[in-house]
Amino acid sequence: MTVTSPADAEVVASRRPRARRGVSLRDTGPSIALVVVVVVFAALSPGFRTLSNVQNVMDAAAVLAVVTCGVTFVLMTGSIDLSAPGIMGASAIAVALLVANNRNDLDLGLLGVVVAVLLAAALGCLSGLALVALKVPSFMTTLGVSAVGLGVATLMFAGVQPNITDGMLEGWAVDRTLGLSHLTWIAVACVLVGWSVQRWTRLGRYAYAIGGAEEVLALSGVRVAPYKVAVFTMAGAFYGLAGVMVTSQLGAGLVQAGKGYDFSAITAAVVGGTLLSGGRGGVLHSTVGVLLVTVLTNGLVQVGVSPYWQGGVQGLIVVAAVAAAVIPQRRRNQVTK
Amino acid sequence: MRFTSRPAAAVIGVTLAATALTGCTEEAVGSAGPTEAAGACDPADVTLVGQVRNESNPYEAAWLDGGDAFAEQVGLTQERLTYDGDSTRQQEQISQLLAGDTDCLVMNVLPNGDSDTPPIVEGAEAAGAFLVTQWNKPADLAVTDYDQWLSHITYDGVASGKQIGDALAEAIGGSGGIVALQGILDTGAAKDRFAGLEESLAANPDVELLDDQTANFSRAEALEVTKTLLTKHGDDVKGIWAANDDMALGALEALQQAGRTDVAVVGIDAVPDALTAIEDGTMTATVSSDGPWQGGIGLAIGYCVATGELAVEDIADDDRAWFAEQFLITSDNVADFTSPETSAADFECSGVFSRSQGPIS
Repeated sequence: MTVTSPADAEVVASRRPRARRGVSLRDTGPSIALVVVVVVFAALSPGFRTLSNVQNVMDAAAVLAVVTCGVTFVLMTGSIDLSAPGIMGASAIAVALLVANNRNDLDLGLLGVVVAVLLAAALGCLSGLALVALKVPSFMTTLGVSAVGLGVATLMFAGVQPNITDGMLEGWAVDRTLGLSHLTWIAVACVLVGWSVQRWTRLGRYAYAIGGAEEVLALSGVRVAPYKVAVFTMAGAFYGLAGVMVTSQLGAGLVQAGKGYDFSAITAAVVGGTLLSGGRGGVLHSTVGVLLVTVLTNGLVQVGVSPYWQGGVQGLIVVAAVAAAVIPQRRRNQVTK
Repeated sequence: MRFTSRPAAAVIGVTLAATALTGCTEEAVGSAGPTEAAGACDPADVTLVGQVRNESNPYEAAWLDGGDAFAEQVGLTQERLTYDGDSTRQQEQISQLLAGDTDCLVMNVLPNGDSDTPPIVEGAEAAGAFLVTQWNKPADLAVTDYDQWLSHITYDGVASGKQIGDALAEAIGGSGGIVALQGILDTGAAKDRFAGLEESLAANPDVELLDDQTANFSRAEALEVTKTLLTKHGDDVKGIWAANDDMALGALEALQQAGRTDVAVVGIDAVPDALTAIEDGTMTATVSSDGPWQGGIGLAIGYCVATGELAVEDIADDDRAWFAEQFLITSDNVADFTSPETSAADFECSGVFSRSQGPIS
């Protein structure tokens, strides 16, 4: 949980009405960085400016976008969530075993997807309950839940890879509508759902407020705990859907389906301007971050940067982008240490 | 519960410390006469232990099954140990083993990483247990400096990289563009395998390497990277060389999503899904190190020395650290590998080094 100084509380309180009016100047840093990166890559590489590569970037961003939707809400409350790898692994194996596959005779189709997402939401709920009921820091509870998820996944995996033969689920990754794969449309839908929750529901409003000034909220008579559990449950559901999407892409349920997504998603959220200290940013910010990170990965390959240099170059550009994004905030003394 | 937890923790802590100390003393006693014990074991007294990372990995599960097959052959059972890729746990398991009766203990170990091998070797040497290691060892650690560390077996990554490179060149008719998916760039396996591809390219001058990228041995990363490379190079891509099967399988998914059926794909490791893909004709080739044989052979070498059928001094220096034979799997011979079995002849004491392809240079 974040200890917020009275100064922070003041700033958030004064900011809230302004956010409703539209995007303020200091939120545009990541978007500008995204445009700059796209223009530079497009200038350098003819392959980058093709339509098929745009489709490619969107497809590649889909899973990360869904994971980032989930993690953004947790970050907004000032907590951190490292449970994505375990929850995604559990839902990936679960869905692979529930739809038509080579391991058993089940063929639940869409119902299998729903069950896998519910399982993931339950795991997310577990993180939230441990946080509010046992007072364990979110850092630890989510790491623990990640391990639980991986354990559940390994048990279900039982030594034989479940490969899916379900036409509907395989089609998500292959079939296209208006040029974009169904996975991309699912991601777009998730972003819209996430944004609506953030903007129009009490849950979204309180998520901001918890990150900005939890004490103030509690003192004004709001019971914070249920909202925190709800945030983690919703994040878990997003990770679960992402695990299903990875399974659709790979045609197989992998225990490692979510490997690395915890840090990629947090990176994308932070690059997009969602603060680790909570109370600022949001789903749309994070989506810009996801696009920025994905474009970087894609562009460096298209331009032909040696793989030995890519990691370093990517890191430098990310740091530069974050720096550009937070400079206006630094003046207002809002950047976390 | 709250009141008892602290004293309980203290008791557990003290017990652990005591166990650790006891372990040290026993090791010290054991080291008094490791060489006298060698060769003096009754075959029935030999303890066989196989240790790998994970039983949820098909290759390592097959390794332990091979160990069981050998143990059965000599009328014993193998103790199966796994440490989940956790170096600390591996060392703990080894020190527990070495704290027990070590006179006729035979261990066939897959160290988690290069740096995990020295403590295992030192422990076995001090306790007088017979040790065979596979895959990982620091280059400057010489097996010949030890009496109880009988042999270290690994595979020539350059050779396997070249084998699949050649198979790929043949599959695309000897000319055309290919792309390479590398493993984690700072691992020896990735470097050696890519060096093998470069050798293959030198031998097939009409094959052009359009691009090489890393996908970190991961199926999901290989999917994304391959999609990007396919949009970058389009129809110029005739083949995909992947440094392991997981990446090859990711590349196959990317090809399927792009609707391409004209691209040959090769990998290394012979995981079950890759074998199925080769049977189906969607994948061209992979390379197998023969996991069941690995599980049996380490125990066999140790067993032969422990029972006196083979003396450490008689093992040639070239056989103390060696490259074992690996097998190129294509559609012609894939049926032999889909349900791998070990044969008793492989583990005869006279022929335990028969698969050697030469010493590790």
